[in-house]
Amino acid sequence: MVALAPLFDAILQHLTLVFTSLAIGICLATPLAIFSVFYKRVSYVVLTVINMVQSIPSFALVAIIVPLVGIGFVPGVVAIVLGSIVPIVKNMYVGLAKTDIALIDTGKGMGLTDLQIVRYVRLPLAYPAIFAGLKFSAIIANGIAVLTAIIGSGGLGRIIFEGLASFNINKTLSGAIPAILIALSLDMIFSIAEKKLKSKSVY
Amino acid sequence: MTKIYKESKAIDDLSFEICKGELFVILGSSGSGKTTTLRLINRLIDPDEGAVYLNGNDTKTMDPVKLRRKIGYVIQQIGLFPHMTVKENIGLIPHLEKWKEEDISNKIDELLTLVALPPQLFRSRYPNQLSGGQQQRVGLARALVMDPPLLLMDEPFGALDPLLRMQLQNEFLSIKRKLDKTIVFVTHDIEESFILADRIGVMHGGKMLQIGTPSELLFEPANEIVSKIIGAENKFKAIKFLQAKDVMILIDKNCLIESDISCKEAIDKMISGKIDSCIIKKSNSDIAHISLIDLLNEKDKERSVMDLGNKLSVFAPSDTLSSIILLLKPSKESMAAIMDHDKVLGIVRLNSVLMNLI
Repeated sequence: MVALAPLFDAILQHLTLVFTSLAIGICLATPLAIFSVFYKRVSYVVLTVINMVQSIPSFALVAIIVPLVGIGFVPGVVAIVLGSIVPIVKNMYVGLAKTDIALIDTGKGMGLTDLQIVRYVRLPLAYPAIFAGLKFSAIIANGIAVLTAIIGSGGLGRIIFEGLASFNINKTLSGAIPAILIALSLDMIFSIAEKKLKSKSVY
Repeated sequence: MTKIYKESKAIDDLSFEICKGELFVILGSSGSGKTTTLRLINRLIDPDEGAVYLNGNDTKTMDPVKLRRKIGYVIQQIGLFPHMTVKENIGLIPHLEKWKEEDISNKIDELLTLVALPPQLFRSRYPNQLSGGQQQRVGLARALVMDPPLLLMDEPFGALDPLLRMQLQNEFLSIKRKLDKTIVFVTHDIEESFILADRIGVMHGGKMLQIGTPSELLFEPANEIVSKIIGAENKFKAIKFLQAKDVMILIDKNCLIESDISCKEAIDKMISGKIDSCIIKKSNSDIAHISLIDLLNEKDKERSVMDLGNKLSVFAPSDTLSSIILLLKPSKESMAAIMDHDKVLGIVRLNSVLMNLI
């Protein structure tokens, strides 16, 4: 059997990795997406770069991080952010940019500023797209968080790798199963958050 | 002013004035520049040359956001925000203007009542729980929330079925009477323009071809294109929506005599005024017409005019020509008096009106 205390530590560390990365991802993605909505050139650059990043295999991404940033928790977060930010930015951009023109038009016509239109019209109407992106991104982040254990970020990946290295099936599973459960619950958490946000008044 | 899109002039050297308090309809087919004109007014677009003046102030010098909050704007697609309730839709701008919650709530109830939607039933509904007509009413309420002196409407009834459109046009007219607002209304529907307008501006190819009242456009079109757009060759259709005020002959003060004078006095008055027939106002509902010849043929010249003359049917200025004809037909009368409350405005002579229509 596996000792419970280290397992809990690993789960906690894993969740910290995932949520820190997601939080950073959201903070970076939001301005990128909003700028992309208003400036065609920015959207072109952002989408091109992001599509390139998306095509890098996760394992290669983790490997590239080491010579650039080193090893440990922070490089792990960097790798996860880079690997998982794509769906957030893409979905947020599409959600914000594809708002019905008639709504933008009336919004402007009634005297909303561009930012107020984002806040009161574009953003709430983009929630479904944004949350779909967040869910997808969370699952990718969880996956990469397992991989980053090899560059010393800690988390469930470490238990899995140790289990694999010592042919200890039990240990491997005790890392893998919580990782799977975390993936499932992340999806659920975002679904609940979306519902909560939607039922709230816009202002 | 001129607006150029990719070298083609969407608005070509356009210049016109809209009077305070009037309902000005811009009529034109698609591509005539009418929507562009409307959007130039609230600066959703800016002209390449020229300027829009509001009460003498160049709108270019104003902050567009502040300007738009003082101008109501309603479009065909309505553009209610689907994620907001009726209340939130109407109250958004007052909220941003930091009104007190209580004031916002009162204003919303007042406006919903105005557009004939009971507040307690509709306040908390979402746009997808409303019919097309109800949505357009909420759209109108939202446009009125800041009490703007100017209202811009871009084919607001265009997407509704004909029956509902007619109902909303009538409701809109009665709402308009309650509010003292200048309204610029864009449409391609001639009938709609005739029903609603005080004045109509006919646009074509980015130019304003003619501005006038419905009957001016119908009977005196400035050129071929106007006559085609208005359908002047098909004037007969107009009896459905031409109103009494469009076809009446305004009466001169001299032609109106009080009922308390005698035949002799009336004859003197008519001869000195060089008129050969006149209107006698006996009471607010009893109006009669009498000709000089009838008066001269009257044996008892001391008789009061009170007992003389042919009684005329009385109509309101907004009654349609078709309803007047319909009511006059059984009695074979050919003339009717048009009164606004207790004031005689004019008369409608069916013969001359019908001659004009053919």
